[in-house]
Amino acid sequence: MTRLRRLATLALCTLLTATAGTACADHGDGGGDPSAPVRLLVFGAPEELAAYRTLADAYTRAHPDRTVQLVEAGDRKDLLARLSTSIAGGEPPELFLMNYRFYGQFAVKDAIEPLDDRITASDKIDPADYYPVAMNAFRWRGRQLCLPQNVSSLAVYYNRTLFEKYGVALPQPGWTWNDLLTTATAMTRDAAGGVIRGTESEGAAQRPAVHGVGIEPSIIRLAPFVWSNGGEIVDDPARPTRLTLDGPAAREALKNLVDLRLAYGVVPTDEEVESEDDESRFANGRLAMLLSSRRSTTTFRSITGFEWDVAPLPVYRQPAGILHSDAYCMTRGGRNKQAAWNFLEYAISADGQRIIAATGRTVPSHMAVANSPAFLGPAQPPRSAKVFLDAIPTVRALPTVSTWPEIEDVTSGILENALYRGDRLDDVIRQLDEQTRPLFARAEHPR
Amino acid sequence: MTRDRGRRQLAMMLAPYLLGLTVLVLAPFAVTVVLAFTEYDLIRPPRWIGTDNFTALAEDPIFRTALVNSLLFAAVAVPLRLTIALSLALLLHRRSRFAGTARTAAVLPSAVPEIAYGLLWLWLLNPLYGPISQVLRAGGQNGLTVFGRTPPQWLTDPVDARAAIILMSLFTIGETFVILLAVRRSLPPDVYELAALEDATGWDVLRRITWPLMRPVLVLLLIRDAILSLQFSFLPALVVTDGGPPPYATTYIPLFSYRTAFEYLRYGYAAAATAVMLALTVAAVALQWRLLRRHEALRDR
Repeated sequence: MTRLRRLATLALCTLLTATAGTACADHGDGGGDPSAPVRLLVFGAPEELAAYRTLADAYTRAHPDRTVQLVEAGDRKDLLARLSTSIAGGEPPELFLMNYRFYGQFAVKDAIEPLDDRITASDKIDPADYYPVAMNAFRWRGRQLCLPQNVSSLAVYYNRTLFEKYGVALPQPGWTWNDLLTTATAMTRDAAGGVIRGTESEGAAQRPAVHGVGIEPSIIRLAPFVWSNGGEIVDDPARPTRLTLDGPAAREALKNLVDLRLAYGVVPTDEEVESEDDESRFANGRLAMLLSSRRSTTTFRSITGFEWDVAPLPVYRQPAGILHSDAYCMTRGGRNKQAAWNFLEYAISADGQRIIAATGRTVPSHMAVANSPAFLGPAQPPRSAKVFLDAIPTVRALPTVSTWPEIEDVTSGILENALYRGDRLDDVIRQLDEQTRPLFARAEHPR
Repeated sequence: MTRDRGRRQLAMMLAPYLLGLTVLVLAPFAVTVVLAFTEYDLIRPPRWIGTDNFTALAEDPIFRTALVNSLLFAAVAVPLRLTIALSLALLLHRRSRFAGTARTAAVLPSAVPEIAYGLLWLWLLNPLYGPISQVLRAGGQNGLTVFGRTPPQWLTDPVDARAAIILMSLFTIGETFVILLAVRRSLPPDVYELAALEDATGWDVLRRITWPLMRPVLVLLLIRDAILSLQFSFLPALVVTDGGPPPYATTYIPLFSYRTAFEYLRYGYAAAATAVMLALTVAAVALQWRLLRRHEALRDR
């Protein structure tokens, strides 16, 4: 039987190599020519892509004999598709930038080149210079697979001009969920500037001209509030087997989240979100607050009509944040590993992080740069950039199991129906559990 | 000698097509069918697992939803597309002042690249700012239609979203329309002149002359559209509705396969889903063929 399987596998490899790609091929060392272009696969908003171009240009200026070619994907899913197909085709980009929540499926398949030996030999990179929470998020079975460029947490972006116009108190550190709700209710306004109850917008009544807050119905937005309330989202963060949103603390956080729409109407309806996403709504002055990570900063810096800033997340029982971190990963099958490492070293070094931090895209993973004027300088908004740094001691990472992308996709659909359609909370929690259990069962773990 | 030469010429003329067919269709088809019996993630070598993927598919609620969506799409979109194309061909086959413009308008949407077509519809269907919603709300108050009803929620309601995907498919009938137009124009005019002399009504002409003469081509187009319909839903669902609104209202088998293969790296599993789709296509074509043959046999009797 084993022999039969081996023969079948061999036949398949031959067939695949002849037609689709070189999945069974040995990619060898891939040292390559250091002066050959390094392909870096990224995705993001136009402003984010401009930030990466700035970094690549700075690298080429510093090293005229070396070039970096950005391969731009449309979105995260497009990036995953491009990466997987290019690896299967035997022509992967040398580097790709990926969030820790999604690299597990490539790590488990041994598609990422471990960087430990190169880090040890490097005179430019000292792991002690970087925030451990971000570094640890990219450790897979004891090996450092990728190096993080940023260590963002979730924050509350708010339209300061609008708050001042309506005389509503600005969000302050230590504010609670109830404070968020009160503030969002006070900021939900009609076109004449009067406070309006957004739930009436369903059907016959007037729609709010400004909504109090925007929040995406997803597990990554819910998790920090569950943790803050003393709950957990999975049974075992190291080796999760199920979601635990049925616990009282998690349930309360989930109920409060969906009540933002269902009971208070302070978040836009699904119809409104489909018409104009929350980020655009905020940039157009029609959303008073938005819960988002640092990545929104690059887009919001193009805002000229009003002043905006950031505040920490509201707290239930204890402060808690969620890690948002992207890292440079080197593909095992890349042709030009030495050149890729040269760029990676530059991008992660203090010099490289200063350049990308100045574009607004990152909260630098390099601690000295994060605490320097390159990040904290008041030249460009947000004025309270330190909010991102203050949150780092309390941020937690989500599980990096190999099936996490599927888990996020499944849960976001269920949470979307909970927030916008008003599905019963018991059904929501049951569906979340039932539909993710098989995915956890299929997962492989980083430890 | 001449016959051999003719055959050689024929073979040479067919060679590029056969080569393309083999490399681009038959070989990937064979690979897909074989991979359906493996666990393959695009990165590590495939591992033979027999029929496990098919067993898992049978128990997968998302796949079942995608399957039902695909069949529903084919059942509604194919007859509608064909009816519209036929109606347009019958309406526009005569020479008249605006016929040329109207024909161009009927063909034009098929010439738009698929992604651009999807993005255009994303704007058209925008719930608040899109022109379709604006038109439907014209004359109504507080966001309702003139009849006091909520307009279709194209991107947020499961049933309306499925209708939106079908609606999008109804405008890309250019190729079918052109074929039917050519067929209609090639029908012998003396038959129609004779019918006119006999005072045949328009319905009689359609039923007794046009329909029987065009039926062979219509059958061919029906089969072709049924095959294509299972694939046609991919881009609209990816670009416009993103497979939603939840739970998976517009996730069709091609989108399910794409996501499973390239976003979740379960290529073997996706190949099994694709194999099921291929089997369904063959079954649908065989069924149509059989029904039509039976119908013709009854007619000839």
